[in-house]
Amino acid sequence: MLKNILYLLNVTNTRLWPVALGEMVHGLFLAAPSAILLIIIWELFEEQPDEGKIWATVALLIVMFVVQLVIAKRVMVKTHHTIFSMTSKLRLLLGDHLHKLSLGFYKKRDPGDLAAVLLQDVSNFELIFANQFQNFVGAIFGTLFLSIFLFFLDWKMAILMLAALPLAFFVMLGATKIAKKYSAEHIASRNETSARFIEYMQGIRYLKAFGLTGDRFSSLKRSFEALRRNSIRLEAAPTPLALTSLVVFELFFLLMVYMAITRLQDPGGATITIPVFIAFLILGHRLYAPLQLMMVSYAILNYMNISVVRIRELLESPVQCAGRDVRPSTYDIAFEDVSFTYVDRRVLTDVTFTIPEKGLTALVGASGSGKTTIANLIARFWDTQQGRITIGGIDLKDMAPKTVYGLISEVFQDVYLFDDTVYNNIKIGKPDASEAEVLEVVERAQVSEFLGVLEHGIHTTVGEGGSKLSGGQRQRISIARAMLKDAPIVLLDEATAALDPENEAYIQRAIQELVREKTVLVIAHKLQTIRNADKLVVLKDGRVFEIGTHQELLEEQGLYAQYWQTQQTARGWRIGAQGLAG
Amino acid sequence: MTKNKRKNGISRLLELSGQSKGLLVFSSVMAIANALLTMVPYVLIFYILSELLTGQITNPEIGTWLVWAFVASVVSAGFLFASGMASHVAAFNILYGLRCAITDKLGRLPMGYLSNRSSGGVRKIVADDIELIELFIAHDLPDAVRAVSLPLITLSYLFVVDWRLALVSLLPILILVIVVPLNSGSDEEQARIKKYHDALEEMNAGIVEFVRAMPVMKIFGQSASAFSKYSDKVRDFDHHVKSWAELTAPLWAVIISFLTNALLPLLIAGLYLYFNHGLELSVLFLFLILGVGYIRPAFKLTTVNAEIIKISQGVERMDEILFEIEEQKGGVSSLPRDFTVAFHSARFSYSEGIDALNDVSFKVPSGTVTALVGPSGSGKTTAGQLIARFYDLQSGRITIGGVDVRDWPMDDLMKHVGFVFQDNMMFYQSMYENILMGADKSEEQVIAAAKTARCHDFISRLPDGYATRFGDKGVYLSGGEQQRIQLARILLKDPPVLVLDEATAFSDPENEHLIMMAVNELIQRKTVIVIAHRLSTITEVDQVVVLDRGRVEAIGSHKQLLERSDLYGTMWDAHRRANRFEMPALNDTPVRDMKKETSPEC
Repeated sequence: MLKNILYLLNVTNTRLWPVALGEMVHGLFLAAPSAILLIIIWELFEEQPDEGKIWATVALLIVMFVVQLVIAKRVMVKTHHTIFSMTSKLRLLLGDHLHKLSLGFYKKRDPGDLAAVLLQDVSNFELIFANQFQNFVGAIFGTLFLSIFLFFLDWKMAILMLAALPLAFFVMLGATKIAKKYSAEHIASRNETSARFIEYMQGIRYLKAFGLTGDRFSSLKRSFEALRRNSIRLEAAPTPLALTSLVVFELFFLLMVYMAITRLQDPGGATITIPVFIAFLILGHRLYAPLQLMMVSYAILNYMNISVVRIRELLESPVQCAGRDVRPSTYDIAFEDVSFTYVDRRVLTDVTFTIPEKGLTALVGASGSGKTTIANLIARFWDTQQGRITIGGIDLKDMAPKTVYGLISEVFQDVYLFDDTVYNNIKIGKPDASEAEVLEVVERAQVSEFLGVLEHGIHTTVGEGGSKLSGGQRQRISIARAMLKDAPIVLLDEATAALDPENEAYIQRAIQELVREKTVLVIAHKLQTIRNADKLVVLKDGRVFEIGTHQELLEEQGLYAQYWQTQQTARGWRIGAQGLAG
Repeated sequence: MTKNKRKNGISRLLELSGQSKGLLVFSSVMAIANALLTMVPYVLIFYILSELLTGQITNPEIGTWLVWAFVASVVSAGFLFASGMASHVAAFNILYGLRCAITDKLGRLPMGYLSNRSSGGVRKIVADDIELIELFIAHDLPDAVRAVSLPLITLSYLFVVDWRLALVSLLPILILVIVVPLNSGSDEEQARIKKYHDALEEMNAGIVEFVRAMPVMKIFGQSASAFSKYSDKVRDFDHHVKSWAELTAPLWAVIISFLTNALLPLLIAGLYLYFNHGLELSVLFLFLILGVGYIRPAFKLTTVNAEIIKISQGVERMDEILFEIEEQKGGVSSLPRDFTVAFHSARFSYSEGIDALNDVSFKVPSGTVTALVGPSGSGKTTAGQLIARFYDLQSGRITIGGVDVRDWPMDDLMKHVGFVFQDNMMFYQSMYENILMGADKSEEQVIAAAKTARCHDFISRLPDGYATRFGDKGVYLSGGEQQRIQLARILLKDPPVLVLDEATAFSDPENEHLIMMAVNELIQRKTVIVIAHRLSTITEVDQVVVLDRGRVEAIGSHKQLLERSDLYGTMWDAHRRANRFEMPALNDTPVRDMKKETSPEC
């Protein structure tokens, strides 16, 4: 835990020493009044208390109070300044790191969860220093100070009191251990609840249609029940031990009193003076208070550590190697013995094929055969684990990701639109584009066809994620973007086009405009569409099964021919007709 | 349902807590008992001091006292445990109840509400916001009880011992009560606090946008500018939070200094009374030890307030779901004799002013197939969903067998209307449960349905057959396989009325054929409404309803419509062209004019 905290302090270049020193001085002022109070108490026990000396000491306390006011303010400002600088720096570092990560990273990670790291986890890290740090410094320093003082007064009693420490710590350690065990169960059941709930929400149409909402969706209800049980357990299991450690402190305090009284009543004459005993009575409790606070802090720190670990993981997630800004002179793409494993699943095995420049290449295969992965690898969403992919003979890994993105336009099914105007959403494709350029692609991508329906035409805002537009309209905006970008390579998911009768034709027209004079890779679903492709790559279970043109593959009588046959039959399908019409 | 009057803030929290009143009262009693017992060591010290100061300690009972003090501290810890456990059990029970209530409510809301909310957002409410309530019930409530009872007990004891000094011991808290509000009221501070909150909010929004937009920005080579926008917001917040801290630091310095030096007035007054009015030394010591100990716990009350504000915001988000939206109620009508589906002048709009359906009337005779067609936005999907009451009409009626769907009990309606969706949804359950979907059917029936839907073979090949849980390590099904599971569900349910959203993209050339065979089995002898996207599939249905911008444009058979409806004719042409769409061969051929192309009939 300490290692992680130090790591974050180190990367943010935070120097904590001045702050710690300030807190120590401040801690001294917090502890001093108790010690000064003792001077008064001792004086009161003299045969003839010196009233003047006592009042002078009171005056000293008042002066200390004023000085403390000033110091407290300065220390507080300094501490906060340092801590806030640290958090800001950490957020900047995280942001900088995020923008160097591969696109694949964003596919894997839920954006809400990423935002939580930058917001919540960083705030938790800040809280460690805003609250717990003072408790720790205060506890360590205050205990040290008081122990030395008490030791000086009477070493036997001081040792007795300090003996509580290892014992209480040992008990507390047990409590932490138990808590850790139950925390794991608790976190697991929290995640389970989350997952089941998301499933419930995503499937609610289905559940409604089958009358399975509310209590009747038993796996969700069971997860709520398990969460309740585990929450109570997490609370109940470690608490008795944690409370025991508090009782240990009480016990040793009482033992100290017992020891003092025995020694006062020693038949051979008292071996301790009453003022020393009183000092122990008063300071004894103050010795333990910060330690008890520290134990609470320790528990909180353990919890905060989860945040610290999450921050560290994000900061250490590997960035894509930067590469150089080399632009290839030709745009033919080649896969050479590429294998790729996603999480623990082998997705591609020994894939070798080429995509000719300014040609149309189509990927064909059942869902899960690796078509989309191939497209994602060309766009450097991930890097290959084995083999290499080249564009114009240059290894993708040698090119800066930014350069690669510059070469590629993608038209996939999931389109992200900003909550901005249609115009600005298109302009993202080329930020320095002139208005004329934008309007030209608006025309070519068939966006103009639906602009009339929108309230403010091209200056209508599209809503969060484009929610005010239909799927087909969003697709055309994303095609317009890609057109404006005018990259030499186009990656295209053909399913994009299959929406509904009217839109389909428009999108198809837009796509035909987009792919003119480009190197094109299509993920194909309807084989009819890609019949004219220069090259068809048929995939099965992550391997290249066959390669050829439509005609060649049909003659080969292989997998492609089989697919083609099925689709030709399916096209003649009619609802309501008995059996299949030919 | 009667709309509950909504409370907010602390009264709403107390209302929620009221569900476990017994446990919470017990927890409070235990908390007070604990506060009482924490006094024991102090009282003991006081007696020892008195003994010491009146001469030699001769009391032989002092050993027994110490034992009792120890017993008291053990019992006190026990009370603390009991108090904490009672409040936590209460809290977790309430949380559990609320989660169930929200899930149940969500299930009864119209789909319109649900599709407008992200599941992540609602998840946050159910997981995180509700959890905040635990803070209040399990921590803040008992803390507040202790924060009030401990000072009261201490002070009453002190008043019994010496009322003059007890009064003086109230002084620091009085000063704090006066100083704190004085300091936080200035206009400048208000302005800075507001700026701080604004900057915080802006940074939060900036972070969320930064993370969400990053993939797109990277693709278009603008991640650097996105980052600079983000870093501006972080720096801006940094500036404001520091200026805010500078402003509040003096106040906190005052508070901390007062807390550590709260003894001063007592010391002065006590010494004065000791020297001039013969106050007993032991009493002076008692006050020095105990006199200001109550301030810290009492001070906790101020932070409780800030927490309640934070918690209340979470509760408000939760209450939005629990109270704001009217849920759908079912009626009590008995079942109809036949299953003719009819729309009578149905009008429906998703949002005020724009009708999705307007004056739609048509009839689907029992046991026949009707297709709904139309351009996107024509209302065909909406019309299909209205039959299953995913939404309720603004005016007009939809009847099944002559009975308004709103007069059916919800459960009965769901039993008699089946829905095949465009997309697939598999649950993290066994294949068997995924097909069964809560129906009251035998194992043989499940397997028979799986066989008809052509699922049986691939399910049997799974590691545990029908008991295999979907989503467990390595168990995934292709889109086509999932589609067939969906068909098996409906086959098993065997509803007399079926709404079929004709799936558009059969992404899987291997499965397409099998899926179509299963669909044709499914629609036998049922009243079927097909939401059609590919016109070629519906040329032989009994009736086609053409919708355009929410109105019925024409009704008839495929052949009749080709003659009668211009819109249908246009759509049919477009569809035939689209079906023939081919990517151009890029090397040699220019983009072909689609209209000129000739191709065999399809």
